[in-house]
Amino acid sequence: MEAILQAVLSGLALGGIYALVALGFNITNNTTKTLNFGQGEFLVAGAFVGVTLVLVLSGKGHVGVLQPEDVTLVKYLTGLVGIIAVLGTLGVFLYYTAVKPFVGAAGLAWVMSTIGFGIIIQNTALGIWGPAPLAIPSPLGNEVIRIGGAGILPQEILIFAVSVLVMVALDLVLLRTKIGKAVRAVAHNKNAAALMGINVPAIVILAFVVSSCLAGLGGLLVAPITTASVFMGLTLALKAFSAAIIGGLDNPRGCILGGFMLGLIESLIGLWHAELREISIFVLIIVVLVVKPEGLLGRKIVEKV
Amino acid sequence: MDRARRALFAALACLSFAFSLSSANAQDIKIGYNSDQSGGGAAEHGLSGRYGVEAAVEDINKAGGVLGRKIVLINRDDTGQPPKSIQNMNELIDSEKVVAVIGPTNTGNALAWLHLPQQKKVPVISHVATGTEITKRYEKEAKNYIFRVSMVDREQVALLVAYAVKASKTKKIALIADSTGYGQGGVKDATEILKLHGVTPVANEKFQPKDTDMTSQLSKVKNSGADVLIVYALADANAHLMKSMAKMNFFPVTVGSWANLATPFVNIAGKKLAENLIFAASVTETSNERAKALNARILAKEKNLPIFVCAAQGYDAMMILAAAIKKAGATDGEKLQAALESVDGVQGIIKSYNKPFSKTNHEGLGVADFRLAKWKDGKVTDFVDAVTKSITAADLKK
Repeated sequence: MEAILQAVLSGLALGGIYALVALGFNITNNTTKTLNFGQGEFLVAGAFVGVTLVLVLSGKGHVGVLQPEDVTLVKYLTGLVGIIAVLGTLGVFLYYTAVKPFVGAAGLAWVMSTIGFGIIIQNTALGIWGPAPLAIPSPLGNEVIRIGGAGILPQEILIFAVSVLVMVALDLVLLRTKIGKAVRAVAHNKNAAALMGINVPAIVILAFVVSSCLAGLGGLLVAPITTASVFMGLTLALKAFSAAIIGGLDNPRGCILGGFMLGLIESLIGLWHAELREISIFVLIIVVLVVKPEGLLGRKIVEKV
Repeated sequence: MDRARRALFAALACLSFAFSLSSANAQDIKIGYNSDQSGGGAAEHGLSGRYGVEAAVEDINKAGGVLGRKIVLINRDDTGQPPKSIQNMNELIDSEKVVAVIGPTNTGNALAWLHLPQQKKVPVISHVATGTEITKRYEKEAKNYIFRVSMVDREQVALLVAYAVKASKTKKIALIADSTGYGQGGVKDATEILKLHGVTPVANEKFQPKDTDMTSQLSKVKNSGADVLIVYALADANAHLMKSMAKMNFFPVTVGSWANLATPFVNIAGKKLAENLIFAASVTETSNERAKALNARILAKEKNLPIFVCAAQGYDAMMILAAAIKKAGATDGEKLQAALESVDGVQGIIKSYNKPFSKTNHEGLGVADFRLAKWKDGKVTDFVDAVTKSITAADLKK
């Protein structure tokens, strides 16, 4: 029983990470019908920018070893501000160089160009920080919190809470605000939206900025758990993308659901046969794609002629 | 076209000039060093190893060199990549004409180029890589040019299992390892050696090398009733294992390989959790006076020394090599190989090497030379308790 509770807690902690990154896929998909396949590398950039700011604020240069007492909440939040500035700018760059030239055009040139943009970021990070992972202790400490005999780290609870909060915020903005209405209009039909007086380019750029910042936030949040590593992006982005596909790429709630499902499957299957985890995830994806191609919470789009 | 050709000639001329500069002092004895010093997880090992070799070269040259000639180290970084490592080997042997090579750090890289030094008769001493096959591949040939002064996996496992079996009160021992060749190789060795002790592991769990939560696997270990856990994985995964143990508040006696010497282990797990794992080491900076002195000396020169064990092994490898060149009276590969197989009485950091190699044995270190160690307040120290004291030579089955 305790083992199952532990697996559930660990699964939710893991799922929170996937969910947060999956939300980034959702935003650009909803506005431009494109995805940033370099999302994982944006996560890497976020993690390194955040950790570096904390390092610099602690007077340790851009590569060093952080002790738990170095990482205060203030420094961590300053890291977040830095991430929003850097990643937001990167998002604008990404849109103008790797998405805008190809959007709406036939073919899938943007797939390659966003992957390429990600690789450029990754190798730049490799040049600046080197291949060794940077460890950062959690600003909330490493004391395990016990729930009914099972344990969870404060940082994992933070990730869980932030991913749910971001989802609720996105949901509210999309459904209740004017900007949200504009975003949905752009997603539905760019030309009609433009004719209605919506500044389409601004909305689209906003989407890429928010998506990049979410990846950066994800990087900062997972760094205390996984360490900041140049190579951490691909695996996380792949899992997050899978989560978005399972839950429904066009629905923030679906992305969150998919993320938590994946996390739970991983840890619960691990209780049985650890080597079957990946197999079960990808079997699930295929099943979902066959039975409900738009994802569990996705909306079927009926084109009226 | 003509201009391009002229530019090419100019470039070639510059290059050949550069080469002639680098080989100016033909009198020196060149030793190659080929290791990962900037790439992945093994960079710390390669860098530390180089500091040790450099210290040895300094000592040898201070004492007048070998055969009246100075020793020069030609350093090459393979960044952990097999293709780069092969290229380095070709360069060291063909262009630099080194008499021997120390390296590499990664077993995979060694296996990628072992045929080069073997065919070209250039002795190699591997000072970090632990894969069992390295010295075995050319065992059956007339002359095997591959030697090692490092902690062979199976020999490490022999010590870990000896400790595990004695430390376990219930004789229920579990295994956990990453799913890579490294982890599974360790599991295979551990299972075989446990069998020699008459013990069958009660659980055998796997995780992915990048996993950060092993609570599910640990739950199964806990349910199996095991009181000792043998773990075979790299430093960062082991650190996550410690964190998962803390989540479950389940701390069996845990033993692991020398991979836990790497700093990611203590940086990720934190100083306190890192103290819960006992691991194999050939030496620590507190083991003996020579080790203390070498550690202090390198730290006075470099800003840090991540893995002292590698520095000590590098130092010893270089000392053995120098003694062999002296004994051979020449730098010729065949003579040097023969001298290595009969060299005697070399004082190293880890021990005094009395006939470390022979025709059939190319391993300079074995389980008898190893000890157990532990992180204590962010530093590696020797680990001694009632169980370690009771381990006798007969317990070290392999």
